[in-house]
Amino acid sequence: MKEALNKKRKVSKKTKKSWRKHVDTKDVDNFLDEKRLEERLGAPFSERSDGELFAVDKSPEKKSELTSKQQRRLALKSKEPVCFAILKPHTAIPDPIAKRNRVKTPEERKNPITRRIQAMKRLNGQLKLKEIDANKNKALAEKKRVNKPKLGEFDKDIWMEKKKVHMDVQSEWLTSDTVRHTLANTGQKQKRVPLSLSNKPSVVPAVQAPHPGTSYNPSYTDHQELLAVVAKKEMELMKQEAHLDRVTTKMFKKVSADKKNDSWMQEMSEGLPTKSKTPDETSDTEDHDPNVKSVNPPSKNEKKPLVKRRKQKEQRQLELERKQAKVEKKKVADIYKIKKIATQISAKEKKEEFLRRIRAQTKERKIAEPKTLSKVKFEAPEPDFELAEELVGNLRNSKTVGNLLRDRYKSLQQRNILAPGTRMLKLNKAKVKKFEKASHKMGWEDTFK
Amino acid sequence: MVVIGKKKYQSGEGAQFLSRRSALKKLQLSLKDFRKLCILKGIYPREPRNRKRAQHGDTSIKTLYHKKDIQFLMHEPIIWKFREFKIFNRKVGRAKAMKEFGALRRYLNNHPQLKLDHIVKERYPTFIDALRDLDDCLTLCFLFSTFPSIAHVPREHSLLCRRLTVEFLHAVIAAKALRKVFVSIKGFYYQAEIKGQTITWIVPHHFSFEPQSKNEVDFKVMSTFVEFYVVMLGFVNFKLYHDLNMFYPPKFNSPGSTDTKLVDEEVYVSERIAALNSPLSSVNNATPAPEEELDTDQFPTEADPSQLELSRIEVEKVKKLKTLFKGLKFFVNREVPREPLVFVLRCFGGEVSWDKMLFVGSTFDESNESITHQIVDRPSMTKQYISRYYIQPQWVFDSVNARQLLPVENYLMGSVLPPHLSPFTDMLRDQTYIPPEQRALLDPEFKVKTAKDDSEESEAEEEGDDQPEIEQAETILEGESAEATENDISEEEPEITVTKTNDSESEQERLKKKKGMVVQQGQLTRENPWEKNRIEKQEYRLREKMIKKKHRNLYKSMMQGKEDRAKEIWLLRKKRRIHDSTEKEKRKQMRKEGKIKNTA
Repeated sequence: MKEALNKKRKVSKKTKKSWRKHVDTKDVDNFLDEKRLEERLGAPFSERSDGELFAVDKSPEKKSELTSKQQRRLALKSKEPVCFAILKPHTAIPDPIAKRNRVKTPEERKNPITRRIQAMKRLNGQLKLKEIDANKNKALAEKKRVNKPKLGEFDKDIWMEKKKVHMDVQSEWLTSDTVRHTLANTGQKQKRVPLSLSNKPSVVPAVQAPHPGTSYNPSYTDHQELLAVVAKKEMELMKQEAHLDRVTTKMFKKVSADKKNDSWMQEMSEGLPTKSKTPDETSDTEDHDPNVKSVNPPSKNEKKPLVKRRKQKEQRQLELERKQAKVEKKKVADIYKIKKIATQISAKEKKEEFLRRIRAQTKERKIAEPKTLSKVKFEAPEPDFELAEELVGNLRNSKTVGNLLRDRYKSLQQRNILAPGTRMLKLNKAKVKKFEKASHKMGWEDTFK
Repeated sequence: MVVIGKKKYQSGEGAQFLSRRSALKKLQLSLKDFRKLCILKGIYPREPRNRKRAQHGDTSIKTLYHKKDIQFLMHEPIIWKFREFKIFNRKVGRAKAMKEFGALRRYLNNHPQLKLDHIVKERYPTFIDALRDLDDCLTLCFLFSTFPSIAHVPREHSLLCRRLTVEFLHAVIAAKALRKVFVSIKGFYYQAEIKGQTITWIVPHHFSFEPQSKNEVDFKVMSTFVEFYVVMLGFVNFKLYHDLNMFYPPKFNSPGSTDTKLVDEEVYVSERIAALNSPLSSVNNATPAPEEELDTDQFPTEADPSQLELSRIEVEKVKKLKTLFKGLKFFVNREVPREPLVFVLRCFGGEVSWDKMLFVGSTFDESNESITHQIVDRPSMTKQYISRYYIQPQWVFDSVNARQLLPVENYLMGSVLPPHLSPFTDMLRDQTYIPPEQRALLDPEFKVKTAKDDSEESEAEEEGDDQPEIEQAETILEGESAEATENDISEEEPEITVTKTNDSESEQERLKKKKGMVVQQGQLTRENPWEKNRIEKQEYRLREKMIKKKHRNLYKSMMQGKEDRAKEIWLLRKKRRIHDSTEKEKRKQMRKEGKIKNTA
């Protein structure tokens, strides 16, 4: 079988078509290829002498000039750009069609007469609408580019600049309302600056006077004062912490894991029929006990008899009369009680006065305190200080304490300029849970996990 | 029939506030842009009087803004710029993702820029307003000028901060406006007075930058503040320079120096300016910058004369302070922080130089014989010149705060420095006890009795007769009550009585004269000093009675406090006196024993 396959099949080369199809022209093709290669590259290497192929390098070995970056760049610059390579012929073979047609540009294709007329028009300043538009846009872009504000360029006194006066509305015949209306409808509306802009949001100064104890070389008393302040604050904090500890953590006993588990089990199985308990028969009997009344018995719609209603009405009337009589009587009696009432009023006024004073005091105290601007409460920064052993007493060895940026940030919060907040470092995006449709499940995903 | 009534929260506090979320919706901005806009425009959140009403019944704490404020923000043209930024960011993102680097470069070169001039004008209608709010601006700019390029703080911002702050320092030098300096562990506190406004700012110590943890400070917010403050400081500098008749941007007339072969002229100029050492050239050299000095006008009718006198003395002191270091030549050693010292010394007319290799702009060498002071911060030096004082930097700061050149003995190289006191505590106004040592620091004319002096004196005296030396050393702070009584002397009252008595006497005298017609020597009417005092006291008490009910309690507490403080001072002084005398006794005892031993 194999031999049969290897055997050359005999085909007919009767017709021209079949001849072409089955004739072996490989040798001819090879010869032609070789010829072409020879044309391109010259005679084959085998035929050429060594002298033609090789040259003895007699010049001293040159160091590559492109050592520095600059030289390399220079070389790169002087080299022909790569982008032009595509425009060059890639073979040495000349174009067989010497007079190849070139597509003319629209400008070249124009009639010379038309071209001349157009040039004349352009000279006269008659432009096409498209060109006019283009020129306009170019000028606009240039203007925009020039007027673009540059960072750090201050070349005018903004406080001496005069306000723009709208000449068209400067007339004694126009009322102020008319002026406002005209300006508003011509896109020059004057906005009113809110008063809050000129008022500072807090009375606290931007840079507070430093405590004398923060000097790099403080006097003993100043330093002790500062330390006392810091210590007092720290003590307060510790007290607070101790309190929180007492109120939360220490309220609970420490329990071993087993015990905890047991108690949990017990709590969770409360009221459930467990193995330890025998099924209660008493509860069953309780349910059917006729003596037990419901906590909320159903109401009945029982109508009151008319007599009862009348009597109730009479009673109400009587009560009202009695009340009125009492008030009348009190009016008469009050005349003799003036003194007592006066003392009551004065007592009340005194109390009000006291409360007013307290309120004024709290208001005054609150002026310097930061306001509540957000959910997060403002936390005053911890005071910067150096311990006595850290003080060196000369400028060279003293080191910076505290963070000035944090200080500024807190100061802005304290002055009600920034709302205190916690920075969100991670966005709480909802976690997307991925499912696979049962219909698309192929069964091998789990094995490759 | 529909009852036409008032709806809830249509007026009053319920209608005045907007929550932040609704403000965002109204302005159609993202939270990021809204935050930036608020900071730039100076609109801050508010606290309502009644939160529940302001939040339409919601009691949770929300960040609230005033409705009028938000309406004001709506007019702002830079909102459109924010939208431009959004589109710009989108384009850049796309170009980056598509790796169209040409387009990317084009976009980045044409990035939109916020123009904040009009906002500066709007927030600070006058120059004085801007000066009043300069504290924050300067502190932040000085701080940011020390920052490297980090996220949210581009390099150009920190460079601009540096440029503007140096320019401001030059303006302060030219105006001689610095008043107080304080070196704290945080940084240098400076206080200047420009156009009657006191400006305080903090400059961080050298190399104080430390990386921040992210959740401590919001850099984005702070850099937005700086973005605005940079523009503000630029315009303030412009105005300051023009008021001082100087060029802005600053120029300085460089003497034809040897190192003119410079690659970059701009760098050369900016470096010289950063050196703070050469005066900037003024617009016309003939007229130097106008001094802000004014003769204090006399208004004898207006205020009480003692107050006027005080202010006159203050003005005189400041005048003297401005030329504190004039005629002195300083050389700053390498280990001393150059910039703060040069700034302070130049502010008060001193000439400064430093090592040539330390920084550009030094004017003379260390070997210059005309140097009067060399500022060193090391315990000893091998080569010393005899013609100059070697002092520690604190001398400069303390001299400025004392407003006169302090004696250099305490500040010489290697000596233990006296404490550096804060000039920001106004001690003389309060009734406080100042120990003699501290008083000597504040007032150089005041002499403390040191142990040495004491011993010398007592040696001269030999046998101890206790003189009240301490009394001399004690300083008495006048209580204000005494002053008040002095001020309100009514001199008319006694005079009137005198004339009256004169009348009755003259009647008799006339009769006598009629008889005798003899000229007798007139008698000087003597005022009874006790009487006068008594009347004064009575009047004072009457005036006290006339105090309004509204202020009575305050007055009472003031007086009580004064009394308490006086008592405390008295007590401390007494303690000191006892302590001093016992110490003296001890020393005497010791000396006697020593003598006995010597003789034995």
